[in-house]
Order: sequence, then structure tokens, then C-alpha cells
Amino acid sequence: MNAVFFLLFSWGMVRARTRHQVLALALVGVTGAAIVAQPSITYAQGMIGAIENVLNLINGDIHTALNGINSVRSAMRSLYQTVAFPTQLINQARAQVSAMTNQFRNPMRSIFNISLTSATLPETQALESVMRNHETSDFSTLASNYHSVFGLPISQTVASPQDRVMVDMDDALAKDNLKTLKEIDAAGQTMLSMADQIEDGASTAAPGSAPFLTATAVATSIQNQALTQKMIAAELRQVAGRLAHSNALRKQGTTYTNQFGGSIQKMLQPH
Amino acid sequence: MKEKLGKLGQSARQSMARGSRWARAHKLRITVLAIVFALIAPRPAKTQFLDPCCAIMQAGLASISSALSHVIGGGLNSVLSTDQGIHSFQQTVVWPQASITHAQGLVGTLRGLFSQTESLIHTPVASATLPSTQQLENILLSRNANQIPNTTSSYTVVYGSVPSQTNAPQNVRNMIDMNDAVAQDAMKRAISIDNLADLELQAASQINQSIQTAAPGSAPIIEAQADAWLVRSNAYTQAALADLMRVQAVDLASAGTGVKTGATNASSLQQKIQQMLQPR
Repeated sequence: MNAVFFLLFSWGMVRARTRHQVLALALVGVTGAAIVAQPSITYAQGMIGAIENVLNLINGDIHTALNGINSVRSAMRSLYQTVAFPTQLINQARAQVSAMTNQFRNPMRSIFNISLTSATLPETQALESVMRNHETSDFSTLASNYHSVFGLPISQTVASPQDRVMVDMDDALAKDNLKTLKEIDAAGQTMLSMADQIEDGASTAAPGSAPFLTATAVATSIQNQALTQKMIAAELRQVAGRLAHSNALRKQGTTYTNQFGGSIQKMLQPH
Repeated sequence: MKEKLGKLGQSARQSMARGSRWARAHKLRITVLAIVFALIAPRPAKTQFLDPCCAIMQAGLASISSALSHVIGGGLNSVLSTDQGIHSFQQTVVWPQASITHAQGLVGTLRGLFSQTESLIHTPVASATLPSTQQLENILLSRNANQIPNTTSSYTVVYGSVPSQTNAPQNVRNMIDMNDAVAQDAMKRAISIDNLADLELQAASQINQSIQTAAPGSAPIIEAQADAWLVRSNAYTQAALADLMRVQAVDLASAGTGVKTGATNASSLQQKIQQMLQPR
């Protein structure tokens, strides 16, 4: 820029013809050069302005923004500590779990474990005992005790094949259910133990670990529900067997009625 | 060649002589050009001690540094302090690692207990002794819904079929068929609900396994899934209870039908006896 200005100025000075033209050009040239020669002052003024701008930015917008962020973070901390997860209430909840455990667990266990046995004779006492012992390793004992109380299967010589089949099915369904109930009793003990452990875990849990316990408690509830379904399935088999038995007797009744009617008709026929 | 160089040198000397004469004749113009050139000619670098710009810049940078240190540094330190407080609170009160590990361990223990329960309830309970009853019992205890279509034939072998039209009145045949139907429905429902219960046990076991490896933030998602399974399971239980109630209702209805049939038969017998006793 400066070089172009100087070349044009030099060309003008060389080509000037009168003294007046030289003086006019000199005035223009010196003024222009003086303006061009002022950058250090302008530069200094610009630098001061820029520094002031940066300082204003730091002391103004950035300072305000940082104060705002700090206020928000402080508010969040306060929200966490006083509203969402107040330590006092967390400890209170844990204490409540422990207090309820102490209040209810043992009394409920005692009630649940009260002996319900009621049989008075040796055979029935033995059967009742094995029915209610929560064991799954003595099914053969259950079968023998069952037959000593409810009788052995009918032999071929004393009953019709149909009666034998029905009696065997009745016995089978009854024994199946007694065995299933022993399994469910044993599983129920395990479920109670699991409930105790979940409750113990809750008494020491933190807000962040409680979701594990609630999730596993729900999973255990599904298992519990499945066991209930197994019991209902057994009940269904038993009730259906009972209905089928009475229906089979009704079928036999129609057969006997027909046979009886035929016999009477034969008797009344003139020989 | 020498001649050409000699002419060129002579020409240059003549030009310089003309320029010198012009400069002597135009001293003012040369002076102005020199002044302008001096004003616009490039300057050397400024020194730190003599140039006022450097001092201004130094003071400005010092101010900026001070502002950065106090305003931004101080503000960031406050934010850091608050964040450290939040971090510490979350680590020690909300999500303490020890409690999380303990809970995960407890889930593992419960999984072990549950495996015991599963093996307990799968202990065989079959008890029938005759071939036909063993076949029906095997189907009923199969826990396999694919066995449901085989129920009717085995049921008929044990409990007989509906009497033919010639062997029983229509109302009796209807009652027998209804009772058989409901009894078989209940048996089929028992097979299906056993099968479903097994699948629920498998699902519950898988859910427990997922919980054991979950994070506090993902455990509620698994819990939501478990809740859904629980709702589904309740629906299956209700379906099974519905079938149980149906069997009992039909059993009750059969008992009522027995009384009705007895009353009708007694009335019919009475009429027939009266007819027999009437004088002909």
C-alpha cells in the first residue's frame, strides 16, 4: 500500500510543471504520509480497547456465568441432600426395616410353626407326620403309610377291572397331591428364608443398592406365583379326578340299570 | 561486443549526468520526496523499553492474568468444591460401592436358594400302579403342553365313555358328557399351568441372573421386566383358578341334577304304581 502511494507520489512530483503544483503535491504527500505514519498510536489505542474488552468479558459475562453455574450446582447438592436423599430419612427407613423385623418376624414364625397334627391312632399319626414333615426324600414312606390307612389297591379277584382302575387312579391322584404338597411345603420354607434375607438386606441398603433388592424380590414373587400355580394345577387334577370318578359311577349306573331292566323283562316274559 | 558494452556505459554516464542536473534544478521536489519516503518507509521492531505499546500490553496482560486467576479460577474452584461435595455424597450415601456389592452378593445367594427350590418341586411324584392309570398319570404330570391332545384317549380308558343313546336317556348323557368335558378341561389346564409355571421359574432365574450383573441405574429396568412377568403370572393363576371354579360349579350342578332326576323318577314311579293298582 505504502509502495504504491510512494510511486504515484514520486511520479506526480517528477511530472509537476509549476512551482504551485509542486507545493500542492508536497502538501498532499506530507499529509498523507503523516496519516500513514500514525499506526503506532492507533495500534496502541486498539490494544487498550481489546484488553479492556477481554477484561470486561472476564469480569462480566464469564464471572456471571460461573456464579450462575456454582449457584445451580449448590442448589443441586442441596436438592440431593435435603429432598431426594436426606441422610436422616435414609437412616430412619433402615431403622424402620429393622424395627419391623424385630417386631414381626419371630412372632409370625412361631405362629406358622405351631404344630397342627391331630391324629390319635398310630397308623394315622404316622401318615399325618409324614404328610406334614416338609421332606421330599420319604415318598415311599408316605405311600406305605397311605395304604396302611386308606387300604391297599384292590386285587383282580375282588373287583371289576373298571373299579380297580378307578380306585388306582383315585389313590394315585391323592398320593400325587400329598407328595406335591410336601414339595411345596419345602419350597415354602425356602421362600420364607429368601424373604428374610431380602428384608435383612433392606435394613442395610443404600438408595443405590435398593433397586437390586426390589428387583430380586419381584423375581422371587414370580417364583412364588409359579409355586402357587403348581398347587392349583394339583388341585385341578384332584377335583377333576373326583368329578370324573362320580361321572364314571353314573356311567356304571346306566349300564347296571340297562342290565337290570333287561333281566326284569326276561323274568316277566312268558316261558 | 566490446563496442556494445562501451556504448552502454557511455549511455549510462549520460543518463546519470542528466539526472544529476535535474536534481540540482529541482531541489524542493527531492526534499519533499525524501520527507515522504522517510515517513512511509518500513520501521525497525520496537524495543520493550522504549515503545509505549509494550508497556500497555504488559499491563493489559497482567490485568487479564489477574482476572483469569481471581474471577475464572476462583469461580471454577467454587464449582469444583461443590462438585466434589456432590460426588462424595453420592459415593458414600446414595451409591456406596460396598452396599451395591453386598446387594449383588445377596442376589447370588438367593439364586442358589432358588435352584434348590426348583429341584425340590421337580421331584417325581407319580404313584399309579396299573398300566392305564400310569398312562393317564404320566400325561397329567408331564408339565408338557404338547401332551394335552393325548389326554382324552387316556381319560376314556380310565373313566369310560359317554353311554350310547340306547343305554341312557338324553339328559343323563348330557350330564355325563358335560362332567367329562369339564373334568378333562381341568386336567388339560393343569398340564398347561404346570408347563407355564416351569417357564416362569426359568424366566425368574434369568431375571435374577441379570440383576446380579446389573448396575444401580439398570436394575430398575430389569425390575420393570420382572413386574411385567409378575402381572402375566397373576393372569395365569387367575386362569387356573377359573378352571378350578368351573369344575366345582359343574360338580355342584351335577349334584343338583341328581336330586332333580331322583324327584322326577320318584314321581314317575308313583304314577306307574297308581296305574298298576287301578282296577281294570
